[in-house]
Amino acid sequence: MEATTYNYKVVRQFAIMTVVWGIVGMLVGVTLATQLIWPELTYGIEWLSYGRLRPLHTNAVIFAFGGSGLFAVSYYIVQRTCQVRLWAEKLAAFTFWGWMAVIVLAAVTLPMGYTSTKEYAELEWPIDILITLVWVAYALVFFGTIAKRKTKHIYVSNWFFGAYILTIAILHIVNNLELPVTLTKSYSLYAGVQDAMVQWWYGHNAVGFFLTTAFLGMMYYFIPKQAGRPIYSYRLSVVHFWSLNFIYMWAGPHHLQYTALPDWAQSLGMVFSLMLLAPSWGGMMNGIMTLSGAWHKLRTDPILKFLVTALSFYGMSTFEGPMMAIKTVNALSHYTEWTVGHVHSGALGWVAMITIGSMYYLIPRLYGRESMYSTKMIEWHFWLSTIGVVLYIASMWIAGVAQGLMWRAANADGTLTYSFAQVLNTMYPFYGIRLLGGVLFFSGMLMMAWNVWKTVRIGRVVNDAAIPQAVHA
Amino acid sequence: MDSGTISGIVTVVFILVFIGIVWWAYSKGNKKRFEDAGKLPFSEDDAPTKQGDKQ
Repeated sequence: MEATTYNYKVVRQFAIMTVVWGIVGMLVGVTLATQLIWPELTYGIEWLSYGRLRPLHTNAVIFAFGGSGLFAVSYYIVQRTCQVRLWAEKLAAFTFWGWMAVIVLAAVTLPMGYTSTKEYAELEWPIDILITLVWVAYALVFFGTIAKRKTKHIYVSNWFFGAYILTIAILHIVNNLELPVTLTKSYSLYAGVQDAMVQWWYGHNAVGFFLTTAFLGMMYYFIPKQAGRPIYSYRLSVVHFWSLNFIYMWAGPHHLQYTALPDWAQSLGMVFSLMLLAPSWGGMMNGIMTLSGAWHKLRTDPILKFLVTALSFYGMSTFEGPMMAIKTVNALSHYTEWTVGHVHSGALGWVAMITIGSMYYLIPRLYGRESMYSTKMIEWHFWLSTIGVVLYIASMWIAGVAQGLMWRAANADGTLTYSFAQVLNTMYPFYGIRLLGGVLFFSGMLMMAWNVWKTVRIGRVVNDAAIPQAVHA
Repeated sequence: MDSGTISGIVTVVFILVFIGIVWWAYSKGNKKRFEDAGKLPFSEDDAPTKQGDKQ
């Protein structure tokens, strides 16, 4: 018998865990920011040392918070825009429990010091295998659902999700090819500069396909829905899709400017990074212009504020990124706090805010309610987040440029003007402002948790949202 | 063939592919198809569902 309802269960599970892991990941972030000011914060306990908590933070916010959010929205959007129930629901349930197992294993092994040392791919080989299995199941469920769709077209969000699922599979497998020595130790198959290039081909595309392409899929559904009008230009979204995905693939070498990587590869990375500006801004404009004629909604609708502000930060960081990829700018910015600021303008401003806005849209619908428990609290959350991000990135810009300039300053006889400790000393006030920004953003997440809790309590679990019976051929 | 020639050929091919995609996206024949696709999120009941299973 053909299903007449959507599977909301797995969507709901992932949506709730998005909020939970968001809080966990950002709490670790706040802890790290505090440790940079007071290194003795955790009493020298090795499991809580900066070097071990840092990968825990990045993995938790990217793969636990961002990943859960993406599972939730992609399962929701693919069902609703294909107008069919998920294919292979047992596999979908496996992706939930499997992904949670990966996160818990990461939370245990990283503080214990088990790491393959590849940035954003630190997890050791047994966990890598589990990730691969979950990911293959995810791909089967997603593409299986698309294959049995009742609609004629595949909505653009699903194209973005499809590209993300496919690319992450390739990136994860290629970058994690490694020789296991023991259960908890392995060595990369690559050596020297090849290893670095594979790592940053992976690393930059984790940003490109996990944190950008996938979240653009989110944007292309939730902004039209919340604004109440179709995307400004669907045709532009088609060009956006192909050009963005094509160009992103080649931008990785900008992480290795002035290293042992051949010059031509460095220049290639720089040029492709500069070209990325065009599709990035095309997509941003497409999202923002969707509001034309509905701008007044921004005044009263905090969910729309979240979504549109996310796009603004996306525009900012995708302008900043190409600039930082220019070799001469990179000579100043690389290895400084500027990079940290850039990443967080993307991660907090774009990824977190588009996710938070989408969750505020999604969660009431998963619990049979018209809206969240408190709209006023969403408004508060919005301002806490926005002020938090601005404080974070502004302090890191100033800190980063100062750091870069002090590191390169030389005396007439060629010796360095400043010692490392002197530069570090200059950072303290900015670390303080960054911590304040992070705490503000984090407290917004606590507010969200409260709001979600209240919404869930008064709502009803919806397991059977009806699929429209009128088939649009 | 030296690497410069290969770069040149690859660049030209990429530009042609790009022009092809833009032409395909904006051609008159595809106008309706893309407009229909753009309406997909609105082709169903929008209201948050009222049917809940359990409290």
